[in-house]
Amino acid sequence: MWKDITGGGSIVFRKNTTIFLQEGLSLVEPIIEVKNLMKTYKKRRTKELVHAVTDVSFTVNRGEILGLLGPNGAGKTTTIKMICGLLIPDSGTITVNGLNNQKKRFDSLRHISAVLEGNRNLYWRLTVRENLEYFAGNRGASRKEVAGKIDDLLEKFRLKDKENELVNRLSRGMQQKLAIAVAMLAESDVILLDEPTLGLDVETGYEVRQLLREIVRDYNRTIIISTHDMDVVQDLCERTVIVNQGKIVTDDRVENLMKLFDIRSYTVTLSGLLSAQQQQLLLQQFPNHVYTPDTVQSKLEVDLAKSEEIYNLFDVLKMEATPVESIDRNTVNFEQIFMQIVKGGTNDAMVKSS
Amino acid sequence: MQWLNLLKANTRKEYIELKRYLPNTIAMIFTFYIIFLGMFFGIQIVGDPSTQDANIQYVIVNYIFWFLAMMIINSVGWQITGEAMRGTLEQLSMSPMGIWKIMMMRLVASTIINFTIIVVLLYSSMLTTGQWLNIDVVSLMPILILTLISMFGLGFIIAGISIILKQVEAFLQILQFILAGLTFVPLTVAPFLAYFPFVKGVDLVRSIMIDGTTLSQIGTGDFLILGFNAVFYLLLGLVFFIYCERFAMKKGLLSHY
Repeated sequence: MWKDITGGGSIVFRKNTTIFLQEGLSLVEPIIEVKNLMKTYKKRRTKELVHAVTDVSFTVNRGEILGLLGPNGAGKTTTIKMICGLLIPDSGTITVNGLNNQKKRFDSLRHISAVLEGNRNLYWRLTVRENLEYFAGNRGASRKEVAGKIDDLLEKFRLKDKENELVNRLSRGMQQKLAIAVAMLAESDVILLDEPTLGLDVETGYEVRQLLREIVRDYNRTIIISTHDMDVVQDLCERTVIVNQGKIVTDDRVENLMKLFDIRSYTVTLSGLLSAQQQQLLLQQFPNHVYTPDTVQSKLEVDLAKSEEIYNLFDVLKMEATPVESIDRNTVNFEQIFMQIVKGGTNDAMVKSS
Repeated sequence: MQWLNLLKANTRKEYIELKRYLPNTIAMIFTFYIIFLGMFFGIQIVGDPSTQDANIQYVIVNYIFWFLAMMIINSVGWQITGEAMRGTLEQLSMSPMGIWKIMMMRLVASTIINFTIIVVLLYSSMLTTGQWLNIDVVSLMPILILTLISMFGLGFIIAGISIILKQVEAFLQILQFILAGLTFVPLTVAPFLAYFPFVKGVDLVRSIMIDGTTLSQIGTGDFLILGFNAVFYLLLGLVFFIYCERFAMKKGLLSHY
């Protein structure tokens, strides 16, 4: 038994589980450990081998919201399904709360629930409450045992007035919320969500994001989100694992990625035009720059590989004493960062402001 | 206790869905009854009058059993196909209870519900024909239970095939006729069929309901065959289903339709 030094009670130290301290002395415990995961499919018609996941390794800490991102066919869903125990990897291991999900499949499934196909994960001819009761029953719980929990969830998910409504009569947003409520009812430590905001309108998408934030805050659940919605990532995720062509290309905190890509993209507003010599120098030193000439007010967009390169820019401007009206740091959104990473850029690469 | 909760949940779901699809349920019962009437009047019109009563009794028992076999064995296949189409099959596979336990409870649940319907149909048939069969519950129950267990095994084999292939509708249609063959053919014609699932059971049920045989008159050998079939086919079904589930998990077929 280890004492929780953060002052919140005590925790049990499990075999095969690493507990370590992170910045600020908060206690971080990996709840999911994915090691060297490989999965290859054979195409039905051509018999061609497709490497869906190649040597993927990452961990997810308890209470963390992790975004699993990647373009279509990158291997996100395959990875998620292997974590859920729905797909057997060719090699590699996944431990959930210290349990190998292949060797102790049913025990590890007690720690995981998922919403894999959104509103399609429900029985449309059952009511909201009946769905919750049925899925709880399939995990071995009686209606009596879960009655109170269902009432709480219906309140929390603002579905109380719809509890006796058939699912096929609910809006897509409500169905999505119900699917998440079903996953919550399992009382698992980890919830996996595949495209939780897909097909939702802006308002419902926002509501779902709020709910997910509350789930982490109030219920201390770990959430893994696979999504194409960069607003979800920017708004919710603490960390992202970006996969492309079956391999991890980035595993970092969203905040770090935002900072890394944010600080080195600038828009310089100039009074007048740059000389031909200045333009030539810019081309040599900043090959990806964008120059928009205007006799009154020209714009120059530059991405800096290193922050010191700003002095090179100043030198170019200084040589003709070009008047500078302003220098603005471009704000990048996560979508731009994602695009840059997936296109093969490194963390040193620059992101242009749109 | 978890098993009981699983059974309760699945029985409730089956019952609710049966109610919600009431026109479908009524149409199914009505179709059953119309086909039965067709057979009944067919025997009356073209059958040999000297054996008419025996033939009608024979038809009632066989037809009822065929209906039960179809309900139990085919329904698992339909259910797997339906769950895959709806997108709920993966959710069931993620239950820590295991999908085979859920399917087992579904089988028990649908048997309980369908059995109730069958009893109603049986009495309707007897009322229509005026042929009253020997409903000796004490003798029928152990035979029925053992016969149903072997049917469950066959149901699991169908479920296993469905979990991999999904589009098994055509096969299930053909299966109906195979099941009809197994229920209607008497064991005297093909004694080896005694080792096929549920054939021996139907034969013994016929013997009780038509000839008035009692439990004590049924030989140990018959019971041994019945018991062997029940255990063998259930185990075979379960092993095959679990193998198919693993195969589907390796190939990523659980969500595909």
